[in-house]
Amino acid sequence: MEPEVMKAEMVLAPTLPFKKVQTADKYPKGQSRGRQWKHLRYLLQAADASTMPPDQPNYLNIQSPPSIYPPKRYCDITGFEAPYVDPRTKLRYTDPEVFKQIRMLPDEYVQRYLALRNAAVVLR
Amino acid sequence: MPSLTRPSRQTDFARFSSSTPIVIDNGSSTFRIGWAGEAEPRVSFRNVVQRPRHRSTGETVSIVGDTDPPLMKFFDCTRSALRSPFDDDVVYQFEYMEYILDYAFDRLGATSEVGHPILMTECECNPSFSRARMAELLFETYGVPSIAFGVDNAFSYKYNQKLGNCGEDGLVVSCEHGTCHVVPFLKGQPVLGACCRTNVGGFHVTDFLRQLLSLKYPYHTASITWEKAEELKKEHCYVALDYMSELHTFKNNKEEAEEKTRYWQLPWIPPPKEELPSEEELARKAALKEKAGQRLREMAAQKRSQKIAGLEEKISSLEELLEQLDEADEDEAAAILGRSGYLSPQEIKSDILKCTQALRKAKGESNGNEDKSDVSGADKYPLLSVPDETLTPEQLKEKKKQQFLKTTTEGKMRAKQKRAEEEALKEKQEEQRRAENPELYLEELRARYSELSEKFEQRKRQKVGGSHTNGNHSSSGGVGRGERLNAAQKERMRLLTSAAFDRGKGEDTFGARDEDWLVYNKMSKDNDDDGNDDDESELVRIASKLKEIDPTFVSKSEVIQLTPEAPKYRPLTAEDYKISIGIERFRCPEVLFQPGMIGIDQAGIDEMVSISLRRLMEDESVKERLCQSILVTGGSSLFPGMIPRLESGIRQFRPYLAPLKLVRAADPILDAWRGAAAFAASSKFGKQTFTLADYREHGENLFHRYNIVYTL
Repeated sequence: MEPEVMKAEMVLAPTLPFKKVQTADKYPKGQSRGRQWKHLRYLLQAADASTMPPDQPNYLNIQSPPSIYPPKRYCDITGFEAPYVDPRTKLRYTDPEVFKQIRMLPDEYVQRYLALRNAAVVLR
Repeated sequence: MPSLTRPSRQTDFARFSSSTPIVIDNGSSTFRIGWAGEAEPRVSFRNVVQRPRHRSTGETVSIVGDTDPPLMKFFDCTRSALRSPFDDDVVYQFEYMEYILDYAFDRLGATSEVGHPILMTECECNPSFSRARMAELLFETYGVPSIAFGVDNAFSYKYNQKLGNCGEDGLVVSCEHGTCHVVPFLKGQPVLGACCRTNVGGFHVTDFLRQLLSLKYPYHTASITWEKAEELKKEHCYVALDYMSELHTFKNNKEEAEEKTRYWQLPWIPPPKEELPSEEELARKAALKEKAGQRLREMAAQKRSQKIAGLEEKISSLEELLEQLDEADEDEAAAILGRSGYLSPQEIKSDILKCTQALRKAKGESNGNEDKSDVSGADKYPLLSVPDETLTPEQLKEKKKQQFLKTTTEGKMRAKQKRAEEEALKEKQEEQRRAENPELYLEELRARYSELSEKFEQRKRQKVGGSHTNGNHSSSGGVGRGERLNAAQKERMRLLTSAAFDRGKGEDTFGARDEDWLVYNKMSKDNDDDGNDDDESELVRIASKLKEIDPTFVSKSEVIQLTPEAPKYRPLTAEDYKISIGIERFRCPEVLFQPGMIGIDQAGIDEMVSISLRRLMEDESVKERLCQSILVTGGSSLFPGMIPRLESGIRQFRPYLAPLKLVRAADPILDAWRGAAAFAASSKFGKQTFTLADYREHGENLFHRYNIVYTL
């Protein structure tokens, strides 16, 4: 290790005196651990939903419901109010100038703009 | 956030008695750890881990918290992004959590063991598996005697209640890193059954800003890092009181919009001005060049002399061999031949001849070019002057060859001379005409030029393959196989395909006529521009002439070449490196109020208050009381304009003229830790904790109904 790195104490020491089980023992080196963890979604489905009574608050049922207002539509490019939707790219736009811009956009950018509001086409 | 320095190790860990609790605010953006009863956390750092590979040793290391960018050059971070143990606000990756806790206890100064009770914050209604694994980690890896978990917003509320900012009954509106919460409080206890969570937070604001900017400035994507976006957000973003009218302002009122727009100038170095090299520089360069040339010449001379010496040596050895052969009798001669690798003395002789020729060639070159040109016919063709009788059959053959060569070269020379004479005559005539009538001559020249260039253009167009004539194809965008070929190539393709498919159809009469064979000529690849060369050279000649006499003349080919390259040459200015943040300043924080903007179908923070009140099974008077003590906390509540906007938003859901009072927490970021530290310092804290024995007895069930009492 370089002296600067040592001085800044950036790197976590491999063994720490206050630990009962060292990291190296828990996660042995060289063994592929793969993906041990699961996404929170699956963990929640597996754990809480079945064991918790529905009248008790739990992580899932304290989520807020969708808004009672209809969602407002904003231009994907400029952020202004968008009365129009481009039928080809499905991007919302506010005026003809933005429309021209949209038609010039490469497909990758269209998808990235759509992904901003979670509307991109995801191929699985 | 490079200004955030890495925390140093605390030295007074041993000073605290083992009953003093350690207080940890495990927030999804920042981790804070300190001692119960103190006013400030001892250590706080960003709650992230990265595991890059150390470049020189090749081992994977763990780095917790923010890092110093200059030091990162020692690590290979290509496969390690920043990782957080959190998903939204729940800890779910306990390997990362362990690295973070390691670092935290190390910074706090722990040396032998962490023998202190721990109070750790968690989110509202933390799932029990998360609590269980956290407790497991603390008990089994760190040997912690007892643990208590509490909700951070509750601690924040209690702390502000103590400060007098809010009453016993109230509401907390908390905008955190990954989520927003609204929690009602009755008699100082949070009512978790009525609380409300939306999965939008400061993280989403920053990420939205980062993505918007990198989409707006695709060339600067590398500069727009997450850390930079965070910095910009903290510095420039604000919450609009009325989003729609603010949008309207930005759209229609250019001056006001310009006033509100902020610019971020990226480092830009003006391109160096091209200075003409000085005299000295030029001289130096010339000298260098001359030196290099000299060296090359020397090397070449050396090589040549080596070659000559080698050849001479070979010739002498071969001659020696021949002499030996002459002297020796038959048996010995065979042995000598076998040794030398030749089959017969004739072969040796021919080899000597070859070598002498090569030698002459090498020597002739070394003598320089001038005497090569005037090598007389006798020297060049030495055999021609020798009578046939004295020559061997081989030499006779050689003589014939030389004769042929001589006649052809002489013929060529004569033709060349003739052509030169013709050219000179033509030039003379032209000159004469020009002298007689310069105007007319110029006119003629111009006409000829335009004619030729027209012809040239046309041929070029033909070669490109008629893409000019049927423009409707190119407008449709698709360039098919046929359009990429020129006319000649197309013809060739046609011939090849027809040749391939015609086979076996009827009687094969190919070759009956001589013209049939011309097909191969067309099929062969390199039959492009042969006729063009003459025209082209003529065109160039006329152009150069025109340039000489006509100052207004501009060559067409030059014009054509210049136009398409022109847009490339716009130099980049500082303007291109300026990133403007206008509408983004309030568009990004708006996601807290309208999560639909980033595709999250949940209510915004103003509406969440009404949802929470609806979930609360109390009568209207209680709700009215709650609304008079609304505490706004969490890092994202620091946006300017947050409180007024929240107030107007909440008012929309409340009865007309219902009283409303919003207070921002004393310190929205640190209050949770301070409240927790005060709570842990209380003498009754011990009753709220659970130990390893409790956990062993009940297991995960311990956490299903686990709720601490906040009012001690």
